[in-house]
Amino acid sequence: MKTTSLLLLTVLFMSACSEKLVRVMPYEKEYFAQDKMSLSPIAERAEQEGHIFLIREASAGGESSFQGGCGCR
Amino acid sequence: MKKLLSIVLLSIALFGAPRVGDNAVKFELPDLYAQNKSLKSESLKGKVVLLNMWASWCGGCQEEMPLFVKLQKEFPKSKFEIVLANIDNEAKNGIDFLSKVDKKRSLTALYDAKKVLPKEYKCPGMPSSFLIDQNGKVVGVYIGSLDEDAISKLKLTIKKLLGK
Repeated sequence: MKTTSLLLLTVLFMSACSEKLVRVMPYEKEYFAQDKMSLSPIAERAEQEGHIFLIREASAGGESSFQGGCGCR
Repeated sequence: MKKLLSIVLLSIALFGAPRVGDNAVKFELPDLYAQNKSLKSESLKGKVVLLNMWASWCGGCQEEMPLFVKLQKEFPKSKFEIVLANIDNEAKNGIDFLSKVDKKRSLTALYDAKKVLPKEYKCPGMPSSFLIDQNGKVVGVYIGSLDEDAISKLKLTIKKLLGK
């Protein structure tokens, strides 16, 4: 009886700890929503990176304009 | 053992988020624009309330806000009231955004600096809205932003609650 109660309390306590340490709730994501937190914070650079990615993947007509994989836009 | 199990179950129930049919969470929050004024949830009794938790940094919240302004115009505030709880870290950000969208300040805007409401409601997403009836019971839970279709359905539910 004592062991079961102790085990249950430990499980409850541990789960409470893990919740606090790991989960960032949606309403706590203000800092994550900032521009500087994005992987490509500079818009122009993001566009260029996308262009290079498409060329590297040898895809034609990706994004908005037609590309032949030459690297020249 | 039975006692312990009932205590555990009771504590789980107590810590659970309010669901449809449950009583809405009671609160007292300051006005977003004038923080020396505050609003108590008790003062909303007798009205159908759409309680919306939002932030200026949340894209979905920005999208649905103009629809809320339109929706509020369709019902008298004495019967249906949209109550916004802003959870920005700085109230200024919320004011800047809302004053552009709701120029006439038709929506009731509160400031929840400590994020009490989303914590109490255990919001699994942003934005989150809760439709509360005249008796203070939760009758609808809406997670994520509401689009035109969702708002039309919501309108029907409000009309039903108002007996129209």
